[in-house]
Amino acid sequence: MTPTMLRRVLIPAGFAVVAIEPWFNDFSVQGSAGRAAATALLALSLVLLTGLVGQVSFCQYSFAALGAFTVGSLVVGHGVNFWLAALLGTAFAGVGGVLVGIPALRLQGLLLAVLTVMVALFVDVTVLAPGTWDGFSGGVNGWPLVPYPSLFGHQLGSYTFYLFALAVFAVAALLVWNLRNGKTGRVLRAVRDSEVASSTLGINVAGWKLTAFGVSAALAGLAGALQAVADGSASAGSQSAYSFQWSVALVATITVFGASSILSAAVAGFFIVFGQQFLDKIPGLSHQWFNLILGGILILQLVFNPDGVVVKTQRDIRHLLHRRSQRTQPLPVPAQTEAA
Amino acid sequence: MALLEVGRVSKHFGGVNALQDVSTLVHRGEIVGLIGPNGAGKTTLFNCISGVESPASGRILFEGRDLIGMPPHRRARLGIARTFQNLQLFGSMSVLENCMVSIDASARRGVVGDALRLPWARFEEHRARERALAVLHFLDIAGAASERSQDLPTGLQRRVELARALCLRPSLLLLDEPAAGLDAEETIELAGFLRKARERLDVSMLLVDHDMSLVMRVCDHITVLDFGRVIATGDPSVIRSDPVVITAYLGEAA
Repeated sequence: MTPTMLRRVLIPAGFAVVAIEPWFNDFSVQGSAGRAAATALLALSLVLLTGLVGQVSFCQYSFAALGAFTVGSLVVGHGVNFWLAALLGTAFAGVGGVLVGIPALRLQGLLLAVLTVMVALFVDVTVLAPGTWDGFSGGVNGWPLVPYPSLFGHQLGSYTFYLFALAVFAVAALLVWNLRNGKTGRVLRAVRDSEVASSTLGINVAGWKLTAFGVSAALAGLAGALQAVADGSASAGSQSAYSFQWSVALVATITVFGASSILSAAVAGFFIVFGQQFLDKIPGLSHQWFNLILGGILILQLVFNPDGVVVKTQRDIRHLLHRRSQRTQPLPVPAQTEAA
Repeated sequence: MALLEVGRVSKHFGGVNALQDVSTLVHRGEIVGLIGPNGAGKTTLFNCISGVESPASGRILFEGRDLIGMPPHRRARLGIARTFQNLQLFGSMSVLENCMVSIDASARRGVVGDALRLPWARFEEHRARERALAVLHFLDIAGAASERSQDLPTGLQRRVELARALCLRPSLLLLDEPAAGLDAEETIELAGFLRKARERLDVSMLLVDHDMSLVMRVCDHITVLDFGRVIATGDPSVIRSDPVVITAYLGEAA
């Protein structure tokens, strides 16, 4: 069995299990699952930017906030159709990504990280500040009661919306997978490995980086729009689900699982949502411990396994299959020298 | 008309004149050597031609077209390729992928075609692979096509950089110390490849190197730089016996 065959069996099987399991659970689990699918999409936006193009971002949740609050204010505040609002939110976030990308063109590594932190903090004190949405006829803390949309005349519920969000993630993951394995992926990795060599081979480095920032932010905006529905609200204030600390948690999680892997985006989405709920069930702990424990895992992981858990596991499986395929080949005929 | 015309180019770093009124010509089909002691401004001139740095004054014409102010990627698409003194391979990628990037870069963008794996994206992929393999065969390194480039020894890495540059199908190739780190035998081999590339691929070259055996072997003309100025220019035989050049290399006492 080759790694490709294994992947073709295991990934659809795992996907089916993840899709069906919440059907046996109550609506709160289904809502959380929807949020996990949206978070996976957000993690995918970071895999695209960091894993493929080598740019860091500590403001992915800020782009998600643009999507979420566009949906909140348009759907709840003005009764606009969800699909139109989600499209606009995605576009806003994409434009925001390009705007952040312009100054980011001249920065790399630590300074780029600082820039994205500043962007996140800026969004925290503007979009996410308590009272901002008062003026747009929202509540003090943003937009409560974001309803489930209907799709082709069919009203979505907590489970069907989860399936929809999961499908969006799957399609996006497939597109990113194809991009990565084609010409575009090679060009992006070239930019990541050596910008100066890329430019002297005819690659428009600035153009590709801006595109990457724009597409990544647009994916994040779409994730935010989905999360607003899954949560049933787009909440501002100090308890906001889109604040800076969650962007940091996202970067940490995707680093733990492996920033270069699309599969690790899926794992990261479910880990962030259900990891917190798991902590709530342990006596003496609560979801507020999540970032602390995540930090501990991150340190261990960086020391012992810097490529990330999912990437390491995939590599181990590949090695194992490789070894087995070698062993099952017929043994070479032993040379008849010793006995003679 | 010269393929490349560098006219009175100057460049300063702080108070240091890296280049001062440097002029040189490369005609179609020529291999021109650029030599000089360390710090003479050779790499700076390369950076100005390939667009990585911009000169303070002067003009750089390629096929009669002014390059000043043009970003590096557009110069590459006009047909100027280069290699780097400190190797700049895409370390995480295989030798073949390194070469395919040159071909990808000049192809249409095709993000949509790639994302949906449309037939023509696959066709282009196939064509890029074939073209890159052909160049690897040309340089006799097709056997290393699937090796990760950062795992190769320096000599091979230099040749992969050469292959990657040739995949661009350039009309002008800028070679920044291609023989650095090569032994005598590899250098002779390199000289053979350079001459073969000029004849069969119609590439003109501007070559910087400290290895005089290479420079004297392959160059039609030589320009000598010292402290950012051109101190001599001419045929290899003339340069070899020019007292000014000998002084610059060996010091005043010589």
